[in-house]
Amino acid sequence: MTELRQIATVCLISIRSLGERFATASVIVVGMACVVGILTSLLSLTAGLTDAYVRPEDVTRVIVWHEGADFDQSRSLKPNMIDTILDAPGIANGPDGKKLADAEFLMRLPLEGFAGGSLNLRGVGPGGLALRPAFKIVAGHLFRPGTRELVAGAGAARKFGLTVGSEVRMRDGSWPIVGIFRCGGDIIESHLVGDANTVMAARRFPGFSQVIVQLLHAQAYPKFQQWLLENPSLSVSVERKTDYDLRMVGSDTAFFTRMAYVIGAIMALGALFGVVKIMYGAVRARTREIGTLRAIGFGATPVALSVLVEAALLGAIGALIGTSIAWLIFDGREMWVWGAFKLRVSPSLWVLGLIWALTTSFLGGFFPALRAAQVPPSEALRAA
Amino acid sequence: MKFLPLVWAAVWRNRTESVLTLLALSVGFALFGTMLALNAAYERAIAEARPDRLIVACAFDCGAIPLGYREQIAHIAGVIGVGGQLWLGGHEQDEHHQITVMFVDEGMRSAWPELPMSPADWRNLDVNPSGIFLTRKAAARRNVRVGDTVTLNTAPGSRADGGGTWFFKVLGFIPDPPGGAASAGPSWDPDTIVGNLRYFENSSDLDERSLVNVLRVAVDRPEHARAVCRAIEARFNSPAVNCIPTKLDAEELADADINMRQISLGIGAAGLFMILFLCANGIAESVRERLTEFGVLKAMGYGDDLIAVLVVLEAAAPTILAALIGSALALGVDVLVAHLALKGTINMPPVRVSVSAFGWALVAALLIALMSAVAPLYRLRRTHVAAVVAGR
Repeated sequence: MTELRQIATVCLISIRSLGERFATASVIVVGMACVVGILTSLLSLTAGLTDAYVRPEDVTRVIVWHEGADFDQSRSLKPNMIDTILDAPGIANGPDGKKLADAEFLMRLPLEGFAGGSLNLRGVGPGGLALRPAFKIVAGHLFRPGTRELVAGAGAARKFGLTVGSEVRMRDGSWPIVGIFRCGGDIIESHLVGDANTVMAARRFPGFSQVIVQLLHAQAYPKFQQWLLENPSLSVSVERKTDYDLRMVGSDTAFFTRMAYVIGAIMALGALFGVVKIMYGAVRARTREIGTLRAIGFGATPVALSVLVEAALLGAIGALIGTSIAWLIFDGREMWVWGAFKLRVSPSLWVLGLIWALTTSFLGGFFPALRAAQVPPSEALRAA
Repeated sequence: MKFLPLVWAAVWRNRTESVLTLLALSVGFALFGTMLALNAAYERAIAEARPDRLIVACAFDCGAIPLGYREQIAHIAGVIGVGGQLWLGGHEQDEHHQITVMFVDEGMRSAWPELPMSPADWRNLDVNPSGIFLTRKAAARRNVRVGDTVTLNTAPGSRADGGGTWFFKVLGFIPDPPGGAASAGPSWDPDTIVGNLRYFENSSDLDERSLVNVLRVAVDRPEHARAVCRAIEARFNSPAVNCIPTKLDAEELADADINMRQISLGIGAAGLFMILFLCANGIAESVRERLTEFGVLKAMGYGDDLIAVLVVLEAAAPTILAALIGSALALGVDVLVAHLALKGTINMPPVRVSVSAFGWALVAALLIALMSAVAPLYRLRRTHVAAVVAGR
């Protein structure tokens, strides 16, 4: 108990004296704010992209591909296979009693130049909207099946300046945009959407690229997969939607995640040296205080811990400032990487920033803390 | 020169803390140098993009620009070469190994002479239409030799015979792109495999024939590039084509989506900000602890200007040293960044720390030293000699 009280007392003394060492303390705060700010800013891109692709409802969803064609631009899933796929066990029913599943495809339409980005057109069937309950037309109306009409996602509309009445020219003529939709931030908001059968007929596509299926529950997957793979009339592969999402987003996020950690580590290394230097200076400046405390009976451990606590406190303040700045500047800002998504400084990034700063501060404060613990009281008082 | 011993002694007054400061500053400058090199890489890619080259593609319904446009474009005034280009992607035997073959036609010899294929290579490709040339990196990645067969698996039905497997014979190797991914167009990356468009035309599914992804065009003079683009776009309206000079394309590439130029400068600035704070703190602490010493120097007749020189030199010595060490370290960091870029899907030009990066680091070091010295010098100017010497 005495030891704990000593620790609390010495830490309080150390923290109260921070005002006198404001300039040096601010170096740690600013340094850590820079480190964490940059780290969380870069990772906000990864977090936002992952949020846009990996949706909570995807846990119970499955994608069925034609065997060996597990990519969006493939069109080898013949229409006559769809009914057989929908006979598989474990598929959930919608409110109308129909199977919650949809055969879809994706085709790429580069709209402006090459680097400026390209736009995807997703062909969906009646089940496509049932699978996306957040889908909501915010301007104009939904495309009518059988007509050459498209609706544009809000993200695509912003990026490419599309409005109701805009026209997308395809090889067979113009397709008007008749509506703008939102879908709860889903990546489909970056696509044009049209009736799958109409687009397929117009473009003479031989088949769909995938069937998206809503399962009753996640545990239904093995049986569903086994039934499809063992069906001799089908030649398909099956993939959990979450696995597909990560496959799609992984290559885009991998570079930025690695880059964020490499840059974060380099900056943390610089900050670490800075913390060691500043905390050595702090111990030197507090030599008389430490000597006095030791002389009146305070132990070495409370003194050492006070140095660590001071470093950690300054690091934590820096982390909070850095993450706050990243949040203010980047959170919610729209970007486009194969689709619109919003940068997100998520709660996990706040925690990561704090852990990053605390680790750096603890490491940086370790040796100065050891030195503080080893200050002989008599010498400390004499030196002062 | 007579100040140097004084400056040196001041810099190493507290050896441990000086070394720590130097290390922290060096790391900061390593980051600054890396980001500067990254920024310069994008600038270089734009600068190296040929202003007399155009890329023509369909504006909307992609993947498909009629190859027949090639002859029509060739007759537009100012055009000196047109070539077709088409990519076929799939996987090798192992499904996880993605592979893309870039098919080109003979027109590329004049439309895209930057493609490093010799006349002998072109002849070889003409005689062996199912052959391919790989960049050295692409070859090393797949560990193939001349004469080996490379397999590309696509969706069934991509071939006229109903199959989806393509076999290519390795004819030889070509150099990796010298000036960055964007220097010769957006799709010229170090992992390129060049095939013969005629072979694709003769072997692919009937629906896919006579179509290419892009046409590359060379114009006689750079200043004609935009006019020729307008003429091409005006000539073809259905389906609409989009023509863009490669230089403009390189600029769009650098600034599209995630603006790497801005990101690198932002990170570099954050690194400098850290350095500035650390350096300013160090020099302020040093002056505060040595007020008596400065008082004595003033009493000996050192003027404010001489004192200022001493303080600035004391601030500049570690920052300049750190700038040199940090820039050298940045060389290593750049290799790591380039490695990460290759693993990802980011189209990043090669990153190299240049002499100018060293120069900018030195300039930044001097500026930081000057800024760091301002507050301590102001304090020194206000300090009364007699009071300091008397210890008051």
